[in-house]
Amino acid sequence: MSDTIIVRAEGLVKSFGGYRAVDGVSVSVERGTIHGILGPNGAGKTTTLRMLLGIIDPDEGSRQVLGARHPRDAAHNIGYLPEERGLYPTMKAREAIAFMGALRGLDWKEGRKRADALLERVGLAHAADLKIRKLSKGMAQFVQVLGSIVHEPQLIVLDEPFSGLDPVNQEHLEKLIRDQRDRGATVLFSTHVMSHAERLCDHLTIIARSRVRFDGTVDEARATLPMRAHYLPKDGVDVSALLPAGAERSGKGWRFTVPDDGTERVVRDLLDAGHGIGGLSIERPGLHDVFVSIVNAADAEGAQ
Amino acid sequence: MSRILKDAMIVARRDYFAVVATPTFLLFLLSPLLMIGFGLIGGLGAAQMGKSAGARREMVAIVAPADQALIQAADARLRRTASPMLPRLVVEKPSGNADAQANAILNEKGREVSAVLHGSIGAPHITYRTAGSFSAEYMASVAEEAARARTTGLAPDKAITKAVRNEIKPKQARQSTQQASGYGAVFVIFLLTLLLAGQSVGMLSEEKSNKVIEILAAAIRLESIFIGKLLGLFGIAMTFVAFWGTLLGGGVALLPITLGDILSDYTPAIGMPLFLTFGTLYFTMAFMLLGAIFLGMGSLAGSMREIQLMSLPITALQVGMFALSNAAASNPGSSIATFAEWFPFSSPFAMAARGATDPSIMPHFIALAWQAGWVAIVIYLASALFKRGVLKSGGNFFSRKRTAISNG
Repeated sequence: MSDTIIVRAEGLVKSFGGYRAVDGVSVSVERGTIHGILGPNGAGKTTTLRMLLGIIDPDEGSRQVLGARHPRDAAHNIGYLPEERGLYPTMKAREAIAFMGALRGLDWKEGRKRADALLERVGLAHAADLKIRKLSKGMAQFVQVLGSIVHEPQLIVLDEPFSGLDPVNQEHLEKLIRDQRDRGATVLFSTHVMSHAERLCDHLTIIARSRVRFDGTVDEARATLPMRAHYLPKDGVDVSALLPAGAERSGKGWRFTVPDDGTERVVRDLLDAGHGIGGLSIERPGLHDVFVSIVNAADAEGAQ
Repeated sequence: MSRILKDAMIVARRDYFAVVATPTFLLFLLSPLLMIGFGLIGGLGAAQMGKSAGARREMVAIVAPADQALIQAADARLRRTASPMLPRLVVEKPSGNADAQANAILNEKGREVSAVLHGSIGAPHITYRTAGSFSAEYMASVAEEAARARTTGLAPDKAITKAVRNEIKPKQARQSTQQASGYGAVFVIFLLTLLLAGQSVGMLSEEKSNKVIEILAAAIRLESIFIGKLLGLFGIAMTFVAFWGTLLGGGVALLPITLGDILSDYTPAIGMPLFLTFGTLYFTMAFMLLGAIFLGMGSLAGSMREIQLMSLPITALQVGMFALSNAAASNPGSSIATFAEWFPFSSPFAMAARGATDPSIMPHFIALAWQAGWVAIVIYLASALFKRGVLKSGGNFFSRKRTAISNG
C-alpha cells in the first residue's frame, strides 16, 4: 500500500440474507484528507464503513487500513463515531471519553486529562462531571465525537456525524473535523447532506444502490454535469427556437444547458434576431445536483 | 493473548465499577440478609408455635401414691437420653375405674395427652392416641424401669456402674461427614453460580440497547468483550463472596468454640486448605462456563421479555447440573460420578465433591485444565454466536473464519 493511501478497499461485497447491501465497493483514502462517503439512505455507506473498521467481515473483497491486514490490528490508531450513537447513560462525560480512549489503548489517567481539555475546547467543560443521561442529545453526541478523537488517531471514521445536531453545533463539528485534518489526521465520514460534504471534503465517493457511482474531488463531481445558463431577453418573447434543445421557461427568462462549444453561438443568434440580452448568467452545478443526478441514474439502472 | 486480556480488563473494569459503585449493589450485597431475615422470622414463628404446643403436650401416669416416686425417678433417668421433644410426664392419683379415667384424660378438652399409663407397676396398662405410639413405648419403658427398681431394691436414678468417659478428636473424618462436605461444596458453588452467573444473561442488553456494542466491537475483539463481561461479573461475584466470607468467618471466630473444632469431623480428604483453594477454582470455572453460555444466549435476546424467557432453560440447566453433581457426591467412584466429573458443565461441581472424599490431587489439575479448555471453547462459540446474531456479520457460521483469513 502506498504511504499516502491510508485506507484501501477492493471489491467489497456484503449480503444480508438475499440482499446485497454492498456490491463490489472499492475505496482509497489518502492520508491527511477529509474523505466523504456520500449516498442516499440504504445505499450501503454504513455497511462499507463497518467493513473497513472490521466490525463485520466482507463476503468478498479485501481491505487494508493503516497498513494492517485486519482493521482491528490498527484499532489504536482509529477513532470511530457510529451512526447509532452509543454511550453508557450512567457514566460521567469525562469518564465516557476516557473509556473510549482506553478501548483504543490510551491510559485512563491521560484519557481523563485529555477529556477535560477537549471538553473545554468545545465549551462543554461544565459537563465533565455530568452523567450522560443528564446531557442534551447534542451534548452527548459531542461527548462521543470527543471520545473518538481523544487518543489522537491517525484515522477518524464518522458515520453521519451531523445528524441530530442543530446548525450551530454542526458548524462546531465542521471546525473540529477541519482541526483534525490540520493536525494531520485523516477523516472519513459518511453523510447524505451535501452541504457538509461540499464544504469539508477533499475527496468524495458516492455510493448508490450498493455500488460506487463516483469517486473524485468535489470539483470533479461538479464537472460531471454541464453548466447551466439563465438568459433574460429584453423583449420577453418566446425565443426557445433559438436556444439549445431542452431549454425551459424560468420566470421571465429561459434556462438551458450550456452546449459543449459554449454560449457564443447562442448569444450571437439571439442578438442577430434582435432579442437583445436583458441578462445572462452561467451557473456551475452544485454537489446536490450531481448527487441527485447520480442517484436517479442508479435508480433508473436498478429499475431496468 | 495478552492484548485480548488487556482489552478485556478495560471492559471488566467499566462493568465492575458500573455495578459496584451504585446503591443497587448494596441491596444485592445485602440480599442474603433478607433471605436470612425471612428465614429467621419464619423459623422463630414456627419454633414459638412448636414450643407452645410442646409445652401443652403431656403423658399421664395414673399410679398409686406409693409408686409415684418410682415412676418419677424412672422418667428422670430415661429422659436423659430421650428426645427433648418428648412430652412431659404428669403423675395423677387413680380415681375409681382406671380405664374410664384414662379415656377421660385422653379426651379431656384443653389437654393434649398422648398416652396414659394406668394399672399397677407390676401389671402396667397403656392407653394412647393414634399418633402417640412413641409416647406409649416410652411409658412402657418407664414402667419397666420402675418395676426393675422395685425388684432389685435399687432406686432407678442410682447408677450400678459409673462409666469412664474419654473424649478424643478423630484423626480421620468419617466418610459420611466427608460426603457432607462434598454436598456442601456442590451446594455452595451451585448457589453462587445460580445467583451470580445467571445474571450474565442480561449483561449485554445494556450495550445492545444503548448501541455501545458498536463502539466496543470496532475497538476490540469480541472475545475481549466477552471475557471482559465475564471478568467484570466475576469480580462482582468475588466481591459478594469476599464480603460474606469475611462476615461469616468473623462470626465463626467470635463463637466460643473454635472453627477447627467444628470442622475437624468434616475435614475433606484433600485437606481443608486445598479443598477451599480448589473450591474457589471450581467456582471460577463453573462461573466462566455457565456465564459464557448465558452471555452468548443473552446476546441473541432482543428484549427483556426474551431474556426472561431464556432464563427458564438456563435455570433448568443449572439445576440439572446440581442434581447430577449431587448424585456424584452420593456415589463417589461410581460411573455416574465419573460421568459428572468429565461432563464439562457438571465437572466443576462434581470435582469439588470428589475433593471431599478422594485424597488424590492430580485429578484436580487435570480437571481444571479440561474445564479451562471448555471455557475457551464456550467463549469462542458464544462470541461467534453473538457476532452472527447481533452484529449480522452474515455468511455461513463455519465458513466465516475462512472468509476472514482470505481477506487477511
